[in-house]
Amino acid sequence: MANVRVEGIKKSFKKETVLSDISFEVKDKEFFVIFGPAGAGKTTLLNIIAGIYVPDEGHVYLNNKCIDHVEPEDRNVAMVFEDYALYPHLTVFDNIASPLRSPRYKQPEEVVKREVTRVAEILKIDWLLDRNPSELSNGQRQRVGLGRALIRSPEVFLMDEPITHLDAKLRHQMRAELKDMQRNLDTTTIYVTHDYLEALSLADRIAVINKGKIEQIGTPEEIYYKPANEFVASAFGEPEINIFNAEVVKENTELKLSIFGRKKIEIPKNIQKLVAEKEISIVRVGIRPKDIKYGFIQKNENCIIGKVYSFEPLGAKAILTVQVHNQLVQLLVPSDSEIQLNQEIFIEIDMEKTIFFDSVGNNLLASYSNVERKGVAWQN
Amino acid sequence: MAELILKDVCKIYYKNKKPVEAVKSLNLKCRDGEFVALLGPSGCGKSTTLRMIAGLEDITSGDIYIGDRRINDLHPKDRNIGLAFENYALYPPLTVYDNIGFNLRAKKIPEKQIKEEIHKIAELLDITDLLDMKPAALSGGQKQRVNIARALIRRPEVLLLDEPLSHLDGKVRQKMRTEIKHLHTEINCTTIIVTHDQLEAMALADRIAIINQGVLQQFGTPLEVFNNPVNEFVAGFIGEPPMNIFNVVAIMENGILHFKTENSLIKFVVPEKYIRFVKEGEKYRFGIRPTDITVCREDDSYTVKTKVSVFENLGEECRIHIRLDNDNILSVVSSEIFHFKYGDEIKLKFNPERIHIFDCKTGQRIEKALQMT
Repeated sequence: MANVRVEGIKKSFKKETVLSDISFEVKDKEFFVIFGPAGAGKTTLLNIIAGIYVPDEGHVYLNNKCIDHVEPEDRNVAMVFEDYALYPHLTVFDNIASPLRSPRYKQPEEVVKREVTRVAEILKIDWLLDRNPSELSNGQRQRVGLGRALIRSPEVFLMDEPITHLDAKLRHQMRAELKDMQRNLDTTTIYVTHDYLEALSLADRIAVINKGKIEQIGTPEEIYYKPANEFVASAFGEPEINIFNAEVVKENTELKLSIFGRKKIEIPKNIQKLVAEKEISIVRVGIRPKDIKYGFIQKNENCIIGKVYSFEPLGAKAILTVQVHNQLVQLLVPSDSEIQLNQEIFIEIDMEKTIFFDSVGNNLLASYSNVERKGVAWQN
Repeated sequence: MAELILKDVCKIYYKNKKPVEAVKSLNLKCRDGEFVALLGPSGCGKSTTLRMIAGLEDITSGDIYIGDRRINDLHPKDRNIGLAFENYALYPPLTVYDNIGFNLRAKKIPEKQIKEEIHKIAELLDITDLLDMKPAALSGGQKQRVNIARALIRRPEVLLLDEPLSHLDGKVRQKMRTEIKHLHTEINCTTIIVTHDQLEAMALADRIAIINQGVLQQFGTPLEVFNNPVNEFVAGFIGEPPMNIFNVVAIMENGILHFKTENSLIKFVVPEKYIRFVKEGEKYRFGIRPTDITVCREDDSYTVKTKVSVFENLGEECRIHIRLDNDNILSVVSSEIFHFKYGDEIKLKFNPERIHIFDCKTGQRIEKALQMT
């Protein structure tokens, strides 16, 4: 049982404010991801929870007890870093066992054996215990390093980008391994990353931080489908979400959106109602690259004409960039699509899947209006 | 007109008086206006090849032609080549304008013409607003644009780009990639890019030359190398998430040839097109891309019934992982978002047209391995 709470954390280095007023609560057994770009303050926050840094203001609670004055080594949290630095002359078994043989945590050998076996089974490395690190693949070595961190059964794991700097292929595999391990682990975990795929895949909840402030805290589903602002919307997805200015115009009794200078596009009833009530004249419209369709004929009134700017195959999928009225719009399409550069093309935005922000992009107005997202919930 | 032709090009270095073959008899023919990527892991010889084309490195043997000019013995500046390296090497005290114009001034071209040329290229690369600035004030993406403008100003017959995006981070990198791709359609100059990033090579190039340990493995369009890799190296190098590749044995069951994994977790009929290549009792390396496996409801001879080990929803797609053994995971990528959890039963269909079989020893694609023997 372990829950962690931070309250009103502020931290500056010299005159630079790194964290301003950070508060959240991590529930028992929750996998909580702190996500943000480089320099957002993620690692500083993790180090404050670990007790390595002292915050200028605010408090850290473990199981509802303030631990501000508890030394890092007495907090019963374990830090997991990217760089594992295994002992090259020790076997996998001895590497994993090493924390339990250190003077501070010394355990009887039968406990060591039991614990190493337990951790090795979780990480699927029990068949490698007699080998030396030099006989392991990179992925196996990562898992041994993880095993050494997991062996201590602390109340809370603090993980600082443990797999982010691996190459893309190994990361894909290690993320699956981590997630598999997580199921067997059941320990409260706070995990720092700048990779949105890791955040969406692993987290029960995500705290998105930027420039030392929390932008949003929510489940992966909330973050992806109901981003609090443009920063959050742009941080999740590659290529990133397209966002345009749109003017609310009246045509007969209907409210429509004027995008790209002139085109009037129909919008769902609930959005019409919302903009009418709030008397909004300008909105920012976000649409993810996979939610735009394309074609070579104008199928209906809502199709917008453009020109193919570039086409980048990436395997099974490709990024199609279309120039529309001096703006670039990106679509995710199958890579075997027959597309010529500079040819005329029509795009159609699925208005049911758009995300609306206020005119400065600071607040979410509405998103994914009528889509019933049956079965697309996250369950991490 | 500028084709670029490499004919039996070799490069041998001497390290501690021992010869090291960095590039082994490389043959490449890049068409006029073509965008070609030299792709491979670090140390594979791709940069050495680029440096030989540029004239920064001697050629041990073989010939390099631009059009019908043999350029082996030409001085770099006489080869009519534009170069943009990963570190921008702009002159810090000079403005963007003077950086771009530097080479033209060195050639003593009249100032009026230089001005015209600079403005033309600046417009093409969308850096007109930056011309009065110094390099220190520019972002990474802007510096790379200036760098490419400087390479293009001399109207080279061949443009060489050495990892031009690797210093840029995430989003800027992706935007710059789109820009370079678009730029190439505008200038239509024969372009060679060196990269270790397969996504970059796929996105940009008309054709990709995949090099490993100094040897050309395959030269083809992005979709050719993706869909028809000639060997296990190419299959594993191209594509992200990577192709699932694991060991199978061919067995006979009810008179029908099947592939199965050692633990029998996966078993299905050998596709028609492979029957004549596959021998009962033999081991093979079996490959299938995560996007070529679909979640299905009905059974057929290519369906595998199994259980979900890990499920990931990544917003744009979902990934389903099946543990094959301690060290191997079979991954499935679907753009339709399903909803699974650990232990759920699942039926997977392996698209028989998209199955790759490699020889266990040589790693060659099985059709090719048999042709060779």
